[in-house]
Amino acid sequence: MALTCLTIPESINIMSKTIGPAIKERDPKPIQKMAREQQEAGGDIQDLNLGPARKGGDEMMAWLVKTIEEVSDLPLALDSTNTVAIEAGLKASKTPERCIVNSISAQPASLEDRMPLVKKYGCEFVALTLSEEGIPRDVNERGMCAAEIYGKALEFDIPAERMYIDPIVLPICVDPGQVASFQEFLPLIPDFAPGAKSTCGLSNISNGTPTELRHFLNRAYQAMLMNLGIYSSIVDAYDGEMMALCQGKIAPVEDLTKTLMDGGDVDVKSLSPELQVYYRSIKCLMGDVLYSHSWIEDLVEKLDKNWYK
Amino acid sequence: MAFSAQTEKYSGKMGTLTFGSGDQALTVGGQASMPFAAFDGDLPNKAVIAMEVYDVVNPEWPAAVVEPFKDVINDPVAWAKKNVEEYGAKAICLQLASTDPNGEDKDAAYAADLVSKMLAAISVPLIVWGSGAVEKDAEVLAKVCEVNEGKNLLIGPAVEENYKKIAAAALGYGHAVVSQSPIDVNMAKQMNILINNLGLPMDKIIMEPSTAALGYGVEYSYSVMERISLAALAQNDEKMQCPMINDLGKECWKAREVMLSDKEEPGFGPDQEKRGVLWEAMTAVDMLLAGSNLLIMRSPKAVKLVEECINELSA
Repeated sequence: MALTCLTIPESINIMSKTIGPAIKERDPKPIQKMAREQQEAGGDIQDLNLGPARKGGDEMMAWLVKTIEEVSDLPLALDSTNTVAIEAGLKASKTPERCIVNSISAQPASLEDRMPLVKKYGCEFVALTLSEEGIPRDVNERGMCAAEIYGKALEFDIPAERMYIDPIVLPICVDPGQVASFQEFLPLIPDFAPGAKSTCGLSNISNGTPTELRHFLNRAYQAMLMNLGIYSSIVDAYDGEMMALCQGKIAPVEDLTKTLMDGGDVDVKSLSPELQVYYRSIKCLMGDVLYSHSWIEDLVEKLDKNWYK
Repeated sequence: MAFSAQTEKYSGKMGTLTFGSGDQALTVGGQASMPFAAFDGDLPNKAVIAMEVYDVVNPEWPAAVVEPFKDVINDPVAWAKKNVEEYGAKAICLQLASTDPNGEDKDAAYAADLVSKMLAAISVPLIVWGSGAVEKDAEVLAKVCEVNEGKNLLIGPAVEENYKKIAAAALGYGHAVVSQSPIDVNMAKQMNILINNLGLPMDKIIMEPSTAALGYGVEYSYSVMERISLAALAQNDEKMQCPMINDLGKECWKAREVMLSDKEEPGFGPDQEKRGVLWEAMTAVDMLLAGSNLLIMRSPKAVKLVEECINELSA
């Protein structure tokens, strides 16, 4: 059976050149257009990323939630470091119980401020495995963070089913060994928080790599995380190949990924250029081959954008 | 039961680099094991120390590294000869500090001429190092290559912003290039690929991973170099199979612990010379243990210590 993964389109983001000004000027058109397009592309949850939103974040989030609910019936992930903005979004939503608070970390302030909101509105939340000490260095520290957040949820009688654990994806240039850590961590989730889901900010994997090549790394990493059983990912819904991958429609990639992650190898020359891109990316992401910005430069010219259809 | 030692088998091997011409050419690299682990694989070439010569000396240099050269300090050619004849230098690194646009800003023609004179005066291979000013280095080193065609100099550092001009000149006029990256293993690989893509073969490239002195981040240099060695040996990554060089003399001799006298910092102890020599020697040994093939050093006493160390560990 094909592996699938829930998608959380990432493009409604205050950092975007079109969406940022539209949010500030309260112009619904480009935002609603994007929300429709993301839903049509097969997105499952709309991520509304306002970033820090220090000034007027509450009004901004409330307006954004209403604006999007006019055109899309998908659940919303309210993504901001401003808790007041998150609550304003929950209040404004027609169905707050379907919203996801993105995110709650293991930092005391985050736990204290945000867990009550999850309880009050009966919504879901992303458990970000980040503590006062920063980003976890290994599987144990990831587990400690997740357990701490889950412990807090239990205090509020919030079941594990409403938690999406985010183990934090780091850029390949920063931590090439993280796949191994994910490989250990994801299978542990059912043991300590039965029913909990998983998610990740996928595109961070390619942060710092050449912009025009980022989606190649993102897709390969997504294929690997799917092989490890990830439940959902925050992705670019405008990347058709990524969406097809998440919907379990590219069997050759799934097979290749499984083979490589199971420790097998394949005859690279027998692969199509498109699959060679996955092959090389996966080899870099597994740490078998050292990544460099030129990792697929000789292949890019040969690729057919529609090969997977 | 007889004891059988555990050995590590590597699928890859570091490439070699030869610089200098004719009988005096030197080859570094080619190792098939981690540093000094001859029981794991062949170590065909001992690490080499190139002794520094500056064409202009910073007046703040501590006495310990002025004293050995005080009779030649204003004459780089004589300094180079002294390093070879008196201190037994196996290679020389000419630091073209005077070409720095923020200093004396001497021009490319001067530098090229100085290199020619030095080549005529010494019988060991020559490394020519720019001032670190990215644009000026490209101009100066290109001219050095042109005027000294076919001498198989080792020139550098080539960095992301200026490698094209430097590598093209090396390729056109028969020299080898130092590929420098900012303590970043992915960039180290990328620099090799970029330079190699211009047509310079891998055996004409040596990596400088950015060298930090003891107490100033030496562990970062160490980690990156160890990772490079493992990529070359254990992962057989052909784009990482260039030997490594460390430009360490200038990093060590500006350390606070080396610059200050015991009057300024009584806790450091009275023997400022010994402190400096050991600082440089320790940093050098760290780099060797991380996989370095070629060290650029300043103090003759430190050089002697490190050569003894290389010989003992290679015995």
